[in-house]
Amino acid sequence: MAIEISNRLGLANVKSDYIHTAGRKLEDIHERLLELEAKGEVKVIHIKEENKPIEAETLLGWKKKIPTNKLWHHKSCGQCGNIPGYPVSLLWFMNQMGLEYVDERNQTSCTAWNYHGSGTSNPVGLAAVAVRNWHRAYELGLFPLFHCATTFGDYKEMRNLLVENKELRDEVRRIMQKIGRELVIPEYIVHYSEWVHVMRFEIAKLKKYDLSSVIATVHPACHTYKMIPEDCIYDKDIYAGKRTAVSTGVMLALGAQVADYSTWYDCCGFGFRHILTEREASRSFVMDRKIRPMVREAHSDVCITQDTGCTTTLDKNQWIGKAMGYTEQVPVMADVMFAALACGADVFKIVQLQWHTTDWRPLCDKIGIDWKKSEEEYNAYLEELKAGGKTVNLYEYPKS
Amino acid sequence: MEYDENGVSIVPADLKKEIFEEARKDFRYEEYVRGCLNCGVCTGGCPPHRFFDFSPRIVLQKMKSKDPELIWTMMDEYVWACFQCFTCAMICPFLNSPGGVIAILREIAVRRGFESAKKVLKPYSRVLLKLTAYGNQLSPDMIQPDFFPDWGPHIGYASTDLAVKRKAIPMPTLQVTNLAWDVAPETMKELYDIFDEAGVFKIIEAVDPSLYEIIQDIVDDVRSS
Repeated sequence: MAIEISNRLGLANVKSDYIHTAGRKLEDIHERLLELEAKGEVKVIHIKEENKPIEAETLLGWKKKIPTNKLWHHKSCGQCGNIPGYPVSLLWFMNQMGLEYVDERNQTSCTAWNYHGSGTSNPVGLAAVAVRNWHRAYELGLFPLFHCATTFGDYKEMRNLLVENKELRDEVRRIMQKIGRELVIPEYIVHYSEWVHVMRFEIAKLKKYDLSSVIATVHPACHTYKMIPEDCIYDKDIYAGKRTAVSTGVMLALGAQVADYSTWYDCCGFGFRHILTEREASRSFVMDRKIRPMVREAHSDVCITQDTGCTTTLDKNQWIGKAMGYTEQVPVMADVMFAALACGADVFKIVQLQWHTTDWRPLCDKIGIDWKKSEEEYNAYLEELKAGGKTVNLYEYPKS
Repeated sequence: MEYDENGVSIVPADLKKEIFEEARKDFRYEEYVRGCLNCGVCTGGCPPHRFFDFSPRIVLQKMKSKDPELIWTMMDEYVWACFQCFTCAMICPFLNSPGGVIAILREIAVRRGFESAKKVLKPYSRVLLKLTAYGNQLSPDMIQPDFFPDWGPHIGYASTDLAVKRKAIPMPTLQVTNLAWDVAPETMKELYDIFDEAGVFKIIEAVDPSLYEIIQDIVDDVRSS
């Protein structure tokens, strides 16, 4: 066996041949799903050759196929609403790599942020919404890719509940018939961060800047790895397989340093309801439990996230900390946004950092990105649009 | 509504029994409430425990007690402290899910229109309206300094020329200001049918009748379009 520590700042690069799992006897839901399909109980959205899947390992060593092509983008309310550079960066990479996808109006929210914040839904409602959106990808012959970690966690849970409960299946099937759809379940529930993870070496080939002096701290999203934890990617070469590998993997592939900090496992303080209606709790949590440890312990240049709520909460709540003497600040962005920056995507037009509240300019300066030029070009572009100019889109709706 | 010295609402014993039975009948209950060592690892890792009088170990122990009186003490403000991060479920050696139990109890609180739930969710109604009536939860025009003054002066960036800034986003679905993405009316109609059939609209009516009326007006307009 080999244990090797090569990262002076932390544990990200610790490698191990051992997978330490406790005596958990969890059923592999994937196998049970295929059994239900064989009985004709459900239809399954399979990952096909044309999806160009790449295999990864999950917490318990199970294999998970991650499709990389012919994808249906299941967008995130919070990303599209206030971090637009998040989905744009992802589409930008797919364009760079010549991959096929659809982004369209025929998608609803997963409604899970609302459920975890207010309780104003139920498993039938959540599962029916999930199946409705899964079926839309199915009828287009595409595989759904979920942008939000709460969608990812919720849909994993809904898949499990649907596989385990006939009554729930029957009720959801009844509702699907009412709206002209069928009960379909994807072979795997796949988060965009998993796509980024398995594509990290392809992404790294596009790198334009030396990132060896950049110190990153990673905030893993709770709903990525704490909800249905057995269905999340782990890699024995990243944290020796003891923490989820997504986001850290792409940072290492890009050549950045990933530093450890003592509260890596804490949530961001979002709280679903708290971020909107009890913000004192969220902002105290952000500063005391996340930003201060990242800056004081790790001297972090950037906080890397993999979810909507975390990115919002960690970015937006640093300014108010100054009122209480918290001087620590660190820019916050998702793994795919940082990767896009590193690969030469425009700071304003693609990564859209202008919407972020915590200052990201020192990070760009450190990397060597000319954000001032980008800002000038963007402002000129806005003037063109005001004068009736057309948007240069990454994607256009299919004609039919 | 009257409250005891601990701030817990005073209700008849029969109602407390009903609440416990309702929770226990939920098909997820057996999955979420298993054996409990009382080890406290869940509370040790619980983020809101650092800021609120809230402990996932207490949640599990009260459910395990099967004592409706004890369980009732969580039904007012207590259940609303949880962040729903599921750290407790991730680290529990017995695979309990106190966060899952909280979700069941919250569902009961809103379904029955408890005063405490109404009070807690009142400031949340703008989000509930957006999600239920339009099919996604957050819109760019909601991020305004009036609502988020603590997010700093830069939050005003979204206040000026929002339409043109959104038009500059190179994804056609995102080039709107009143929705996170432009949801097609036919898609909204499917969502309304799901909410009707799953009883979601009824839940909103129970917890906020006036908001429900506003939502229904919008739903009627979209359905007739």
